[in-house]
Amino acid sequence: MFGKLTWDAIPFHEPIPLITSIVVLLAVAAIAAWITRNRWWSYLWDEYITSTDHKKIGIMYIVLGLVMLVRGFADAIMMRAQQSLAIGASQGYLPPEHYNQIFSAHGTIMIFFVAMPLVIGFMNFVVPLQLGVRDVAFPTMNNVSFWLTASGALLVNLSLFIGEFARTGWLAFPPLSEKAFSPGVGVDYYLVALQVSGVGTLLTGVNFVTTILKIRAPGMSYLRMPVFCWTALASNLLIIAAFPVLTATLALLMLDRYLGFHFFTNDGGGNSMLYMNLIWVWGHPEVYILVLPAFGIYSEVVSTFSGKPLFGYRSMVFATLAICIISFMVWLHHFFTMGAGADVNAVFGIASMIIGVPTGVKIYNWLFTMYGGRVRFTVPMHYAIGFMLTFVIGGLTGVLLAIPPVDFIVHNSLFLVAHFHQVIIGGVVFAIMAAYTYWFPKAFGFTLDERLGKAVFWCWFIGFHLAFMPLYVLGFWGATRRMQHIPDASWAPWLNVAFVGAAIIGLGIALTVVQLLYSIKTRDQRIDITGDPWDGRTLEWLTLSPPPHYNFAVLPDVHGEEAYWTRKQTAIKQDQLIKEPDYQPIEMPLNTPTGVIVAFFASVCGFAVIWYIWWLAILGLVGAFAVMVWYAWRDEHEHIIPIEEVRANARERRRIRMEHLHNLSQSV
Amino acid sequence: MSTASEAPAVGLTHLGSEDTGLGHRGPASKSIVVPYGFWLFILSDMVLFSALFATYASLVRATDGGPTTNQLFDRNLVAIETLALLVSSFVCGLAMIAAKRKNMLWTQGWLLVTGLLGVVFLSIEIYEFSSMISEGAGPQRSAFLSSFFTLVGCHGAHVTCGLLWIGTMMAQIWAKGFRQDIMRRLLCLSVFWHALDIIWVAIFTIVYLIGTLP
Amino acid sequence: MSEHEGELHNVAPGEPHDNMLSETLSYVIGLGLALLLTGISFWVASTSILWGPGVATGLVVLAIAQMGVHLVFFLHITSGPDNTNNVLALAFGVLIVFLVMIGTIWIMAHMNANMMPGPAMTNLMIQRG
Repeated sequence: MFGKLTWDAIPFHEPIPLITSIVVLLAVAAIAAWITRNRWWSYLWDEYITSTDHKKIGIMYIVLGLVMLVRGFADAIMMRAQQSLAIGASQGYLPPEHYNQIFSAHGTIMIFFVAMPLVIGFMNFVVPLQLGVRDVAFPTMNNVSFWLTASGALLVNLSLFIGEFARTGWLAFPPLSEKAFSPGVGVDYYLVALQVSGVGTLLTGVNFVTTILKIRAPGMSYLRMPVFCWTALASNLLIIAAFPVLTATLALLMLDRYLGFHFFTNDGGGNSMLYMNLIWVWGHPEVYILVLPAFGIYSEVVSTFSGKPLFGYRSMVFATLAICIISFMVWLHHFFTMGAGADVNAVFGIASMIIGVPTGVKIYNWLFTMYGGRVRFTVPMHYAIGFMLTFVIGGLTGVLLAIPPVDFIVHNSLFLVAHFHQVIIGGVVFAIMAAYTYWFPKAFGFTLDERLGKAVFWCWFIGFHLAFMPLYVLGFWGATRRMQHIPDASWAPWLNVAFVGAAIIGLGIALTVVQLLYSIKTRDQRIDITGDPWDGRTLEWLTLSPPPHYNFAVLPDVHGEEAYWTRKQTAIKQDQLIKEPDYQPIEMPLNTPTGVIVAFFASVCGFAVIWYIWWLAILGLVGAFAVMVWYAWRDEHEHIIPIEEVRANARERRRIRMEHLHNLSQSV
Repeated sequence: MSTASEAPAVGLTHLGSEDTGLGHRGPASKSIVVPYGFWLFILSDMVLFSALFATYASLVRATDGGPTTNQLFDRNLVAIETLALLVSSFVCGLAMIAAKRKNMLWTQGWLLVTGLLGVVFLSIEIYEFSSMISEGAGPQRSAFLSSFFTLVGCHGAHVTCGLLWIGTMMAQIWAKGFRQDIMRRLLCLSVFWHALDIIWVAIFTIVYLIGTLP
Repeated sequence: MSEHEGELHNVAPGEPHDNMLSETLSYVIGLGLALLLTGISFWVASTSILWGPGVATGLVVLAIAQMGVHLVFFLHITSGPDNTNNVLALAFGVLIVFLVMIGTIWIMAHMNANMMPGPAMTNLMIQRG
């Protein structure tokens, strides 16, 4: 009746997961009670949960990512603590079975449920605004994508309360991840969660490529798009290209585990090396899916806060597309040591070095953008400069690792761990923090507190270096990754420094929360009246903050690169706005509960598959299909925003802008 | 659909242009955007199959001392399957032509024939699978068989989803007529169905023909 | 509307199309060509007239031709300017498919060759099989 599910699944005998579960459940209950008391459920349902508005969906993704960051970080600090304690005779406080789950959960959560949602969230919020349009190509599918991602996150977190998580690392290599060696539900949680959220991500890829190629403001040809949109295009092309391979590979492992197939087993002719190959065919483009939009964020931030157009726009575009294509030709560098031989290793090693070149081009372009500009050292600019320093070193260690003989020595050592954390934190995390500060006023109508923001930056910057620089040294000394017990006492000082670094990062995360709460409390001091708090250059700054549901009363006519900047300078010079356009009523897509209900059934089905409750799994599938058919049966797809509302909002915006214009011309 | 009697409302893509995507005339219309998005999805599905093909190619000789391709595959059955799917693709095209002319009878008729030919295809495939399994050549026997059943079975699963979709579309057309959004879905369905035949060309060539060369 | 693009029929669905004949003809020709190519494939695979090693290559070429027939006659992918985005997307897809398949086959062939178990182990595995 309930498959493998019994009361034993609840970790009554393990204090850490038990206490964590209780605390989390209490926290969730408290938040639910707070929402209920304030009668916010219907607001949340109408404004966010069923919203097809890319801005709202973007915000939900970012909230998901930030919440999961706390969980992923908790795993990290636990690992650092364990490695500082478990030296010599001591076994620390985490037995190996538990430690292995923690590093597996840490990686899985950070990549799939922190970095991906955050990057996708920012692409969601920003791209349609920058393209000067009202929404993405498929708004309802966008909503479904988010909720499927959330469903995956839910399943991963459920593993803490009910059952266990995988102990196989964030990529679940066979044969360890096969039934014979991982008979529990942990690997199944991992597989099912990623399959569900993988569907959501693939749909996002389709959505955004279609949007960027087919839905842009009049006059916005490809070479007039902001660079962030180019990087979003490249990233989403990679999603379309890579995620099907992940789906296929994880499905093969599921077939092995559930139906006794022999793809990767030791017996029956299986070949576990094939898994490695396929998973990295996905895995390498995945990191570029994350880092390309990050590069786009830096392009926006650096040009805005240098007061100059981005240097070398065309070379940026070319470099982005080059990285996109080459990223699909380097995947073997993740398993140089597996035995493909010198010829194969050489080809992929050279390709891995070549991919550093367009990245270098980008760095030079950012530097040249800053050169000769009037640089404002705002919080986003701090992150941009921090990125340039940090990421370059991370990239250099990457090029080092791209040399097969070197890699043979440091493969799977802490050197590797330091490298990939350096590029991900220096590249992706810093970009997310910059983007968070940069676009927060557009989303919520007020800026975040600057001083606290700078404190957060320094915590991240100093904390990161303290946490990971020692790992390079330890890697050279032979320290392997994922060690539950440290065999060499001389490593202790370095690991302790790393622990301090992690703690400082933790402080940074805590300060981020403080910054948010404080900024909300004192928001009246930092209201974004004009909608353009940073003197921006791209079209999202044309709108008020937050923009109306439909973004623009009339889609802006684009005449050159930096559409908004030219328009703004013309307005300042002529001391008047453009002629008031003809308004029309606007059709916008309706809200829909399809996404959240499909995700509900996907979660039910997923949970049932994990615990072998077959009748429930079928029910879940049928439910999801039924919801889709029900959705397909509706007759009304849009609602109309009346012309009076459009006109009133637009005139209010124009009035505020005129006032701002007068202030500007008077101060000149 | 939206009420047509109001002043022309400017939506996301509704009154957009039919332009070539160079962006000069603003967002493209839904009749362009939807099929393009679906085309991208089909390409992602092709990548999925390429991973399965790559797996098959890597494991085709990993028979673990068990049955091999030559011992298992019946080219005559494959020929019938191929014929059924190919003709169903053709007939699906005829259904689209009828739908454009809003001819309920012929549209439903050709869609039905498409579906029936799909059922023929699936029946043969199920027969093939079950006889292999009863001979002890099931997917658990060896890595080669695992990859065979998965590759061909995944295609079969796609055909099954296509049949469900055909049924749903037939019901929708019956209930709501040839509305614009339903026409777009029909177009996507026909793209899907044709793509399935393209994958089948790869399967019968690589798995059944090349796989059983002397 | 004279210029229609980006979608997989030359005319947007639901619009009156004068040329029912040409559309039907497209499908008929496509079916005919596909049947022909399929028949040739089956014949090539079973005949002994052709040089052995060339048969596999020939079959692959025939398969690609069949896919082309499907793309052109059933999916109406043409090289017209209004189809550019579709063709580019297809090219991207084909590139990825090619990289995944050829890359995997090349890598796995090398892996298997280099990482084959030694004679004693192989012997053991054969016995168990």
